[in-house]
Amino acid sequence: MLSSTPWKRWLLLAIAVVLVAIYLFPLYWMYVTALKTNTETFANPPTLWPHHAELKVTRVWNDMGMGSFIQNSLVIACGTVTLVVLFGTGCAYGLARVRSVWMDVALFLVLMLQVLPASLMVTPIFVAFSQLGLLSWPRTGTILATAANKLPLYIVLVRAAFTQVPRELEEAALVDGNSRIGAFLSISVPLARNGILVSAILIFLQALGEYVYSRSLITDRAYQPATVGLQFFVGPNASDWTGIMTFAAIYVTPILIIFVLLQRRIVSGLTSGALK
Amino acid sequence: MTLQIELAGIQKYYGGYHALRGIDIAIPKGQFVALVGPSGCGKSTLLRTIAGLETITSGAIRIKGEDITRQPPRLRDIAMVFQSYALYPHMTVEKNLTYSLRLKGVPKAEARRKAEEIAEITGLGQLLDRYPRELSGGQRQRVAMGRAIIRNPKAFLFDEPLSNLDAALRVHMRAEVRKLHNSLGATSVYVTHDQIEAMTMADHVVVMRAGVIEQQGAPLDLYDRPVNRFVAGFIGSPAMNFIDGIVTEAGDRVRLTLPGDPIVSFAGHRPAGEAVTVGLRPEHLNVVSETQTGNTLRLPVSLVEQTGSMTYVVTETEPMLTIAANMSRAILTAKSIDVQIDPGHVYLFDRTSEAALQSL
Amino acid sequence: MLRFNRVFRDGGGFDSALVLLALAYLVFFSAFPLIYNLVISFQSVDLFTIATFDRPFVGLENYRDIVNDPLFWPVVRNTILFVGVSVVFQLAIGLALALFFRLDFPGATWLRGLFLAGWIMPGLVVGAIWGWLLAGDFGVVNWLIQSLGLTQQKIFWLSDPSISIYSVIIANVWLGVPFNMILLSVGLAAIPADVYEAAELDGATRLQRFFTITLPMMRAQLGAVISLGIIFTLQQFDLFAALTQGGPSNASNVLQYWSWELAFREYRIGHGSVVSVFMILVVIFVATAYVRSTRHEHVV
Repeated sequence: MLSSTPWKRWLLLAIAVVLVAIYLFPLYWMYVTALKTNTETFANPPTLWPHHAELKVTRVWNDMGMGSFIQNSLVIACGTVTLVVLFGTGCAYGLARVRSVWMDVALFLVLMLQVLPASLMVTPIFVAFSQLGLLSWPRTGTILATAANKLPLYIVLVRAAFTQVPRELEEAALVDGNSRIGAFLSISVPLARNGILVSAILIFLQALGEYVYSRSLITDRAYQPATVGLQFFVGPNASDWTGIMTFAAIYVTPILIIFVLLQRRIVSGLTSGALK
Repeated sequence: MTLQIELAGIQKYYGGYHALRGIDIAIPKGQFVALVGPSGCGKSTLLRTIAGLETITSGAIRIKGEDITRQPPRLRDIAMVFQSYALYPHMTVEKNLTYSLRLKGVPKAEARRKAEEIAEITGLGQLLDRYPRELSGGQRQRVAMGRAIIRNPKAFLFDEPLSNLDAALRVHMRAEVRKLHNSLGATSVYVTHDQIEAMTMADHVVVMRAGVIEQQGAPLDLYDRPVNRFVAGFIGSPAMNFIDGIVTEAGDRVRLTLPGDPIVSFAGHRPAGEAVTVGLRPEHLNVVSETQTGNTLRLPVSLVEQTGSMTYVVTETEPMLTIAANMSRAILTAKSIDVQIDPGHVYLFDRTSEAALQSL
Repeated sequence: MLRFNRVFRDGGGFDSALVLLALAYLVFFSAFPLIYNLVISFQSVDLFTIATFDRPFVGLENYRDIVNDPLFWPVVRNTILFVGVSVVFQLAIGLALALFFRLDFPGATWLRGLFLAGWIMPGLVVGAIWGWLLAGDFGVVNWLIQSLGLTQQKIFWLSDPSISIYSVIIANVWLGVPFNMILLSVGLAAIPADVYEAAELDGATRLQRFFTITLPMMRAQLGAVISLGIIFTLQQFDLFAALTQGGPSNASNVLQYWSWELAFREYRIGHGSVVSVFMILVVIFVATAYVRSTRHEHVV
């Protein structure tokens, strides 16, 4: 690190705080607007701090039907994470352990599939699912498609975690009398636990914010997640901005809390997986 | 004689790379065998094939007469101590020690009792509830050993287990490992790149190079009768000096390609005019005070290295020779040095095949 | 059973089975749709033929239709603009922040991490928030630039056809900056301090050190970050859905959103697939360059 004198360090800290504040202003504005009354929201000049703060959580929750939206979001996110962890963990392990031409091909395939945009994949998936009759279970269809979209990222991140586990530990377990599966479950998985957990949470958070597949595959309001619900209220003619910001705040606050708690681990997991 | 481990005609290919080329070793029960050689010679690969961590292309591995070539590691009943110790970082010392017992379904109380017993033997007394990260290097080493001992396996495999320890501890652990081997009546295969470790610990030393066994036998046999230049150079410290030479008319002397073309005599006879490589161990070059008759050389001094007990003199010749002398202050300032050689300690090797030459 | 044991319980079959299981899933739900997309792009597909398997093949007709569509070139232009401007600003701001947060002051790492809060948010929510910030009459951004005296008139960020694409770009840059910054920080941290010390002893100024050491040593990293930036920007869909929906009158439409609109709004599924095929080719091209560059990295 480049060292500097004490007063300079505090000056730098002050600048850093200002930079963070500017960057996070949109988030601040979301919360402030959510707390304002309707009249104050449209006041000119806008108030930077609500004069008559009021919580509209229950009203918005009921009026906008958030219960069903949030529940669907959770169902889709949980389903996606389950599939991704189930299929991805073993694959990541295999790709981390075995060095061969075939594994390189498999890894290349995974890396390529990681970049396919959901908005471009959704058309053939929609056609195929409607032919298979999968659209009768729209949430299942969305989960299957979202899992396929997120699986490569999870594999890449968890593979990095497995490569951190020394191979010799597993070999010691084999010599000690364990089978491959036994050594995998009792040595490798517990030791890569942090990486697996953080990656799974990351996938969960991303699946919670999934939009394209839900919007395209789910037509019934009752099964749509919060993103689709929110989109319904925004759009060019949006007017109930306090309501929309309250909706947004209720929706993302848990995500932000999880993020702040796991910030350091998510950052390190991300950087080790993305570039190695 | 019952053989505990038998390796017969082992061949191993990694794709096109021929890693092990026809390895045959027979190890009787209770023997301590050292596999030694430069890095990349295949010694670790060989050890891993015994453990079952690597498959072999052809050949057979037998333990107590039973062919286990195709068995997975867990069915071989062999314990291994890894170079990195490979202690399970998420388990306490006790759990590390008893991992294999728990896999076999040994009851908890009995496993605990055994762990305590092993801790006693290996001097881990109060550390059973610690985690590996809380232990020193030497303690980790002991846990790794304990984990192997607790199973009472058919054989112990060691993969350079002392290379991560500092020099003093390494010397201490050498003796301890050997003592443990004796008291357990165990059969051990020990991989090392350090020939001193191999010489001091093993009953039987196997010298490997490029996937081939160059020579195997008792440590002193290898030292006294190396079969080729490689083994001669590898065993012994400091390493043997090699000088090109031509056998003289008489057939029992050799003219060295050193300044002044000195002639030394050797035990036995070779054809006159034969081009040979002469091997002289540093410790066989006896420093003498004045020119004596027979088998002496006068050599210019380039450098004197002192270790305290021994003094190594490096000569200013081409090739450079190393001489091991007893401490003597006179040497420190000498411009040249006189050494005498016992004809019985002159080794001759064929220049092209590098094989040791027998007396005719 | 014995054979099974040998291969799966103790042998290399274990790894292969685990990898193949996931690959099978990916092939079924990712690779197959990819190919199916190509098939559909040669077919005439509408709401009535969607569920049947024998749809008429129309050859390159869909491709002709799309290229001749009056929207095609404006949308291509928008896409290039969107990607180009977004990536440049994400990279510039990200690099500046990464350099700043490398300085030594208390809480640097933690404060830097807070930027990722933007990245973790659902794109649609980010879009909704920016929609409110940029709102024409009551948006705080308009108030801010007016009170700073930058303009007299209100700017109609979302409904002015010449500006709406830039609104999406602003939101997208906001989303992309944290990721750029973190990846570049990793690259900066990987440059050993003694190289800088050596350069300083050799008499290089701060600026010279940046151009002769930092930039050259970051080349691979910058390449990776730019490729990833292009890929993520091409994936961006949610912001369009939340902010402009390609409007007004397609002034901010880009290929990835247009493809979806064709298929799901106008039910011209064959045409949507054609646009999709174009885009996927571009994405795969960029991704190959990225993967090859990182693989190359490995060898060195």
